Amino acid sequence: MKRLGLAAAYLALVVGAVASLLPFWWMAIASTHTTSELFATPLPWLPGGQLLENLARLQESTAFARVMLNSLGIAVVYTAFSTLVSAMAGYGLAKFRFRGRGVLLGLVLLTMMIPMQVLLVPLFQMMASMGWIDTYQAVILPFLANAFGIFLMRQAFLDFPDSLVEAARIDGAGELRTFYRVVMPVALPQLAALVIYTFMSQWNAFIWPLLMLNTETSYTVPLALNRMIGLTRVDYSGLMLGSLLATLPLLLVFLFFQKQFIAGLLGGAVKG
Amino acid sequence: MKRRIAIALAAATALSLTGCAMGGTAPAASTAPAVTASAKPTGSITVWSWDVAATALKRLATDYQSSHPDTTIDVVDIGYDNAYDKISVGLQAGSGLPDLVTIETDHASGYLGQFPQGFVKLDQVIGDKKTDFDPSKWAAATGTDGGIYMVPWDSGTVALYYRSDYLKEAGVDPNSLTTWDALIEAGKKIKAATGHTLMSIDVSSGATFGMLMQQQGAWIFDEQGNVSVNSDKAVQALTVLKKIHDEGLLKNVKGWDGRVSSTKAGDSAVHPEAVWWIGTLEGEMKELSGKFGVVPLPAFGDSARTAANGGSNLAVPAQAKNPTLAADFAAWVLADAKNQASMMKNEGLFPSYLPALKEPIFTEPSAYFGGQKVYELFAEQTGKIPPVNFTSDAAKASDIVGNAVVAAVLNGKDPKTVLDDAAKQIATATGRQIAG
Amino acid sequence: MTATATRPGGRVRGSTRLGRRLARPGLWFSLPALALFGLFFAYPLVASLIQSFFSTKGGVSRPVGTANYARLAEDPLVAQSLVNAGIILVVQVPLMIALALGIAYVLNQSWLKWRTGFRLAYFLPAVTTLVAYSVVFRVMLATDGGLVNQLLGLVGIAPVDWLNNEVWAKVAVIASITWRWTGYNMVIILAGLQAIPAEQYEAARVDGAGAWAIFSRVVVPQLRAVLVFTTVTSTIGALQLFDENFILTGGGPNNATLTPVLYLYKVAFRQFDFGYASAIAWLLVVIITIASALQFWFTRDRDARPRRSAR
Repeated sequence: MKRLGLAAAYLALVVGAVASLLPFWWMAIASTHTTSELFATPLPWLPGGQLLENLARLQESTAFARVMLNSLGIAVVYTAFSTLVSAMAGYGLAKFRFRGRGVLLGLVLLTMMIPMQVLLVPLFQMMASMGWIDTYQAVILPFLANAFGIFLMRQAFLDFPDSLVEAARIDGAGELRTFYRVVMPVALPQLAALVIYTFMSQWNAFIWPLLMLNTETSYTVPLALNRMIGLTRVDYSGLMLGSLLATLPLLLVFLFFQKQFIAGLLGGAVKG
Repeated sequence: MKRRIAIALAAATALSLTGCAMGGTAPAASTAPAVTASAKPTGSITVWSWDVAATALKRLATDYQSSHPDTTIDVVDIGYDNAYDKISVGLQAGSGLPDLVTIETDHASGYLGQFPQGFVKLDQVIGDKKTDFDPSKWAAATGTDGGIYMVPWDSGTVALYYRSDYLKEAGVDPNSLTTWDALIEAGKKIKAATGHTLMSIDVSSGATFGMLMQQQGAWIFDEQGNVSVNSDKAVQALTVLKKIHDEGLLKNVKGWDGRVSSTKAGDSAVHPEAVWWIGTLEGEMKELSGKFGVVPLPAFGDSARTAANGGSNLAVPAQAKNPTLAADFAAWVLADAKNQASMMKNEGLFPSYLPALKEPIFTEPSAYFGGQKVYELFAEQTGKIPPVNFTSDAAKASDIVGNAVVAAVLNGKDPKTVLDDAAKQIATATGRQIAG
Repeated sequence: MTATATRPGGRVRGSTRLGRRLARPGLWFSLPALALFGLFFAYPLVASLIQSFFSTKGGVSRPVGTANYARLAEDPLVAQSLVNAGIILVVQVPLMIALALGIAYVLNQSWLKWRTGFRLAYFLPAVTTLVAYSVVFRVMLATDGGLVNQLLGLVGIAPVDWLNNEVWAKVAVIASITWRWTGYNMVIILAGLQAIPAEQYEAARVDGAGAWAIFSRVVVPQLRAVLVFTTVTSTIGALQLFDENFILTGGGPNNATLTPVLYLYKVAFRQFDFGYASAIAWLLVVIITIASALQFWFTRDRDARPRRSAR
């Protein structure tokens, strides 16, 4: 009976995994054909031989290698600082009671609830008046404090045992030290999740960098890919290839940080 | 104490923001800025464009810089998909835009209407060239004060592409397709003989409906800006499309991908589309070379046999740092026969500058079209495109119109009824009157 | 560890000298975030609120008091977009959270092989750029010859007009959201799961609890904060839906997949009425606030019993 349950679980997982991966498989196929082949009926199911040509064209039309580096630089800087800000704010909101805590939490949630589209124009004006159009600081700073991140960390720290914090405090450690030495290491699984989320959201950020950046060589990956959608011609195969390549750094970040899930456990283990 | 400071700060911020919140939408001057032509413009400008248009400008910018010392022209490809987001935000914010932007014809009236102070008047630079341009494009680039605010670039002259092999097999003479009724009859013959539908279009986009209205000189709005989408001519246009569907001759496809796949698969016999479709055919469907021909659109009675779909312009934003150079460059590129012809040759952009249509390239036979001189046909039709009044409310109307077209063509509703209903919706949404 | 029973959030501070000293660090920790929000969000937030009291026509902005807000009540598209968002919310969010929880739970089991592979497979959709995934989905959902319809054809189901039919378009949008975000929520829930000490499972088993009892009595309560997070953020995401329907259906057919944010985007960027768009945005903020508050309230920690006391 248990075997059946096990088999069922695996089957369900595999079906789900296939559904998840199906579009990627199609993207991989599309990367190896010419665009016109992609419009043929029936659609090609197997890889074609155009990979290198598509790659060359991708590089030539968007300077893709440079664009990947731009995205990487921005995402790394953003992630490092944003994670820190979120962790600190989440900790402050979860573990301390101070006047205005509720208000601050409310404000944080408010920024998450307001559709970004209406903030674009005033924010754009601000950047313009500060002379920050077409700069990387304009891409990174305005959204550095991230409501999702703060909220995530707050929830994580809420579940965090106070006993550990108390013990450190009794031992005479200052708040900052307690935070860095005791709390952060133990909250590693949640931090890892935050890093993954933050890196991913900045890597894929689209509308704000689109509005801010005006120099082709300073574009980030989504902007460069978007350029391939032209008016009367869309370089589909190049677009698919670029998109696949764009997921690689994200995969690496994910693979690296998800190991931290397992590494930083609070006295528990992966047993059921 | 802290609380009071906080309140004071908030108040101060709020007060200062009242001015800022209006951003670039408050009129800065009572008249739009104008630019004068200069014999020797200098300095540097930035230009935004996309796709092959950007390629063309980069190429011509190099030429311009060689022949005009002390000038620097930086062309940036901002991509097409979200270009208008950048442009709209820049206009609304009053800053962030370059010296020259590309704006398509169907967006032109919207921007000119919503941002009357947003662009520089170009009368002194190209005002005397009105008759040299495609009339429909000149009209769309004209502001509400009658001044010309954009330089027309390429025209989306519409004609009827057909599969010569299908027509031949069915025994239909392409030159007999002079009226829509004749086309429908031919469609039945083609279906019987070859099994192919007559046309594949994206019904919900409303583009084909727009073409059929425009060729009769009709549109969603009339010359006075009243809602005319339920006029007799519009109803006639919609009825034709409905009939084609009811006779089983229409294939509904979705979006750009849908149209391209359908054409590649050879689903249908004809396709009403603009001249730039040639680029897609020759680029994506090389294997179909020799199987196409082009004739003017079928007519409604004695209506024009062409319409417009697409095409861009160049405009100088009011916030440009060097409007003189920008305007001069735009005029040099677009109001010049040789430059426009070079863009036809290299980038497939069909000029709306009529003198350019006399260049040799437009009388060359095209192998893709079985030796037909297709560009000659389009050139002949470009000067005949009936102008229509897009108005600044084009965007509000387009969704409503698309829904109406789907209701009538695909869902069997009566054209007059759905168009009357659409007219009411548009009138409510825009505050305009329905044309009597 | 010694058993120091404390309520979540620490003991009450501010009343003793020690307490006062300890209350301020909370503010200091929050200061960077506070400063950044103050610098970059205060102006746009207030500006958009002020803007909602103006109306723009032909490039001229005039103050119109609450006219924009009154218009919200009469505008059929506002109502329709809210209904659409509500339908998507009610169907998609529970579905996705349940899936994410289920998958995370199974992936957390010690007997599972290829754990990393599965995690990767499920997470991958979340990392795709919108541009790419929208193109792929449009192609896959094409009525004629699209991948999904081809697969359906293999099992004898007639092709579905995914993007042109009012009901199926909603299904397509829900499916694409679920495809994209389930794995992401799963990762977050998994992090929470892995923080549950193994002893608790053992203790429960020793007490004779079956698999379901372990799941519902041991696991789910300890995931409370994480589940609150995923539910609240998914709800906000559903109410703020823009990406998927913008790309796949443009709000159609016939506004069947129009959501409030998509509508306000069209009003702002196609019709250039930023004032009305701001009004729509603030209406949405109110609705989302109420929805979130309700969710927080329903999932509040009703136990006054101390949690997390070590044995």
